[in-house]
Amino acid sequence: MNKEFLLARSHFKKNRGTSIGLLSLILLAATLLTISLLTIFDAYPTSVKEGERLNGGDGGLNISFDVENLSEDVLEDILAKYTSEHEFHKGLEYQDISVPFGNGEMVLNILFYGAEVLDSQLGRIEIVDEDPAITSDYIYLPYQYYTSGSIKIGDTLEFSLKGIRYSFKVRGFLNSTYNACNNTGSFIFIPDPASYEVLKTRDGATEAAFMVTYKLNEGVKDAAFRIAFTNAVKTINSRTQVGGSSFDHAVYYRSIMSLIIAVSFIVVSAIVLIVIILMLANSITNFIRENMKAIGALKAIGYTGADIRNSLLIQFLTLAVGGSIVGIVLGYLAMPIVAGIVIAQMGMPYSVSFNAIATFCPVIFILLFVILVTMFASRKIGKIDPIIALRDGLAGHNFKKNHVRLDRSGFGVNTSLALKTMFTNRKQNIITFFVVGFIIFVCTIGLMMYENFSRDPKLEFLYAEHCSGVLGVDSDMKEEAEEYLNNRADASNVRRGLNLNLYFGTEDQLYAFIFDDPDKMNNKNVCYKGRLPKHDNEITVSGKFANEQSLEIGDEIKLNYGARSATYVITGFMQTVNNMGHEAIMSEAAAGHLMDLKRAPGYLWFDCDGRDLTNEIFRDAEAEFEGHIVTTMNYYEVMDGALTTFQGIAVLMLILVCVISAIVILLVLFLLVKSLLYNKRKDYGIYKAIGYTSDSLILQTAISFMPSIILSVLIFSVVSYFAANPYLNFFLSSFGIVKSAFDIPIPGLVLIGFGVIVLAFLFSVWQARKIRKIEAYNMLIAE
Amino acid sequence: MRNIIETKKLCKTFSNGGVQQHVLKNIDLEIREGDFTVIMGASGAGKSTLLYALSGMDRPTLGEVVWNGTDIAKKASDQLALFRRKNCGFVFQQTYLVDSMSVLDNVLAAGLLVEKDKKKVTAKAKEVLTSVDLPEELWNKFPTQISGGEAQRVGIARALVNHPAIIFADEPTGALNSQTGKDVLNALTRFNESGQSIVMVTHDITSARRGNRILYVKDGEIAGELELGKYVSGDKDRHSMLRDFLREMGW
Repeated sequence: MNKEFLLARSHFKKNRGTSIGLLSLILLAATLLTISLLTIFDAYPTSVKEGERLNGGDGGLNISFDVENLSEDVLEDILAKYTSEHEFHKGLEYQDISVPFGNGEMVLNILFYGAEVLDSQLGRIEIVDEDPAITSDYIYLPYQYYTSGSIKIGDTLEFSLKGIRYSFKVRGFLNSTYNACNNTGSFIFIPDPASYEVLKTRDGATEAAFMVTYKLNEGVKDAAFRIAFTNAVKTINSRTQVGGSSFDHAVYYRSIMSLIIAVSFIVVSAIVLIVIILMLANSITNFIRENMKAIGALKAIGYTGADIRNSLLIQFLTLAVGGSIVGIVLGYLAMPIVAGIVIAQMGMPYSVSFNAIATFCPVIFILLFVILVTMFASRKIGKIDPIIALRDGLAGHNFKKNHVRLDRSGFGVNTSLALKTMFTNRKQNIITFFVVGFIIFVCTIGLMMYENFSRDPKLEFLYAEHCSGVLGVDSDMKEEAEEYLNNRADASNVRRGLNLNLYFGTEDQLYAFIFDDPDKMNNKNVCYKGRLPKHDNEITVSGKFANEQSLEIGDEIKLNYGARSATYVITGFMQTVNNMGHEAIMSEAAAGHLMDLKRAPGYLWFDCDGRDLTNEIFRDAEAEFEGHIVTTMNYYEVMDGALTTFQGIAVLMLILVCVISAIVILLVLFLLVKSLLYNKRKDYGIYKAIGYTSDSLILQTAISFMPSIILSVLIFSVVSYFAANPYLNFFLSSFGIVKSAFDIPIPGLVLIGFGVIVLAFLFSVWQARKIRKIEAYNMLIAE
Repeated sequence: MRNIIETKKLCKTFSNGGVQQHVLKNIDLEIREGDFTVIMGASGAGKSTLLYALSGMDRPTLGEVVWNGTDIAKKASDQLALFRRKNCGFVFQQTYLVDSMSVLDNVLAAGLLVEKDKKKVTAKAKEVLTSVDLPEELWNKFPTQISGGEAQRVGIARALVNHPAIIFADEPTGALNSQTGKDVLNALTRFNESGQSIVMVTHDITSARRGNRILYVKDGEIAGELELGKYVSGDKDRHSMLRDFLREMGW
């Protein structure tokens, strides 16, 4: 084996630049793969581990709204039937409250509980960080406020509850399995004892609530239990609401962002791996061409084809091992940045730990790739006849066509010669074409995410419906409030909307959006197949739910709510990323078959011209209906709050994608231009001898790569523009998005294309500057 | 006849591993317009180095190379390239055609450097290809598809296409058999007869006979010079004069 190592060392010395280029690409791929795998195998399971550490049981319930008839004994009776262990606490729950979060506001169910919940054993709530020096008017907030809500200990948090303004100093942050992440729909706040007593005194009669954590009896399914529990509660009081989620759903929603990030990194890693394959194969082909005589000489003195191939294998495996190890270390070093995004969404402490899969898989994966590609691309070495190789016979030319004849070309001589170079260098230009194409596609996806989640965010992808504001009024004044809004000239499209959990069979539930007339909805795109419901026997259900239940448009579906049930015809499919993709839209008339909506509060959705006017309408309404306002939701603020984490992620991903793309383009051009200069060094000497300047030759070289790059940018920009949404549909279909219509800003796409072309041209010029060192005289006497 | 090139104290030293080798030593020389100057000498005497220093292909270590009153020795690499394209034509032993271009394109690649009018250059390229007796059916072939002699004639055509002041030929027949070598020399002689200045390096006495002025380089210096007069085919005295001169020089 010694002789192969000697040869490999010689290859290294001779091809130092190529080795460095390939090493950099391998390093980049290993870094990205490590980050992807760490995100999947280390960050993603964190919410499960934390949930188990906090003894989260099988699920959590939040029982709210008119629970006065629901005594602790009654709850015990119901829970005892289905659970092996349970624990509940009594507190307050305010539904659909706007609270400050990040850059805006978040609309969630806010749970206020006393400090005794910190002593719970099942579904433990744990203080993550606190400042005991803060002793009055304080509050503990979910840790997500720290990770993405822009709140620190000692800051003041102000918000309104039922028209009364509250102000608390943040004493610390807490973690809870079920009520500490915006994705699960509820936040638990623990105020100081005095403030909690004030809240109980004010709102204890109307906002009293229970928080339950449970472990189910063996064989009992969570969904079945929840439906049975809800029905049992509703037989006592039909107005009582039951929310919360199972353990699996809670951890899934808390960690969904880490999955999306991991998949994004894997896609980019895959592209870098494809580039490595192309460049590795190209480098081996070049090696054979450049070293034909040396290979012939080695074979002549007794080396076998296998010996030479093994030496190449040793060379590239050394690069693969070295690049992978450094890449893995870099992956671990870069992981805290990605972890920052993940925990922003999870809202729980997380620190990167050693993970065997994330550490060893990239090396194994890259090594396998390198072995396969090297063995495949170098197989020609075995067929080389030493005598022919020594005569340089295999390098014989076979020009079938004289491309860009100088006497007929419409271009100047430099451009014409550049085009000739392009045709003779066609394999390398094909590589460039596809690499640039991949880059354009990935950048388009990044641009699309940035446009739709950061620059001009659109809630329609996050929520079934969007508007300017929602005014929540108690049942006593809801008709007057609706009339009031209808009479305002600055408010339009006023519609009544309500959200409720409905049940399907004994194990599934649908989160229903109930509107007085679904046709008034702004987000028509939510229904991607069929139509929205019109009549009282119609419903639109989410495509994911329909798929799971094998339901088609036109099928009937029987839904339950408490003791009542009704059958509806499915008129269409809607898309949603929320509630595990189990959502529905129906009219008030249709919902009336299941419940009496007269006593429900009125949630009035309206459109108007901007954030300030929405707040003005709320101020006027609060003055008009003092004491009857349940909640106000400025959707512009909600959008800012809900998108806080998405915006950061979108910006970071765009930057990351652009940087990685730039690195890939530069590395590919580094290798290709280097190889071109080597292969054409004799031609450059001839050109210089007959009077071509270095500048014109540098320009020719750079221009020779431009047609494939420009063509690729043009073609793949158009392809990406039309393929990005279908691609995302495919990618997001498992999350419930089937027919996305994300905007792709054409100026942004043009900018990316222009940037790629300019970067590629400038780098090619810079890389081709080595032509200056080629002296015609040296070239001639060297022959 | 006026001098096109004059060298003053021309020196060229190569450094290799700290060892200095003085290849050209204080050469003072004039190259006259219309001459077919032949540079001869033993291997390693410095004849090719002198040719490339005269032509601006390489820069001397010391001294001047004056072309029509301008010293080109101090010019930068790209300035020399611009100088060469206007003033020099080159014919090399290995022909050095660009393999990926057709015969015609090889000539045009040089022609289009000086004249931008494509029609004019194409016409001129075809004219010079015809003048070196290269059949038209070969013009769109690639260099690897034609013989060595044909390729060398393409090299001459490329050297001629810009009407250079001088053609520098470095062992133009060195890689050819006697017949094809003779064809190449006939072409060069013909162009010289029509006024083209030529400087040719050779170590072949038959080739050297074509020159009207023979310079003998020995140990980096011009050891001797012979005026032969214009070439006339079958002139036996010319051959014996040259042979005597070379014998005298220690050939």
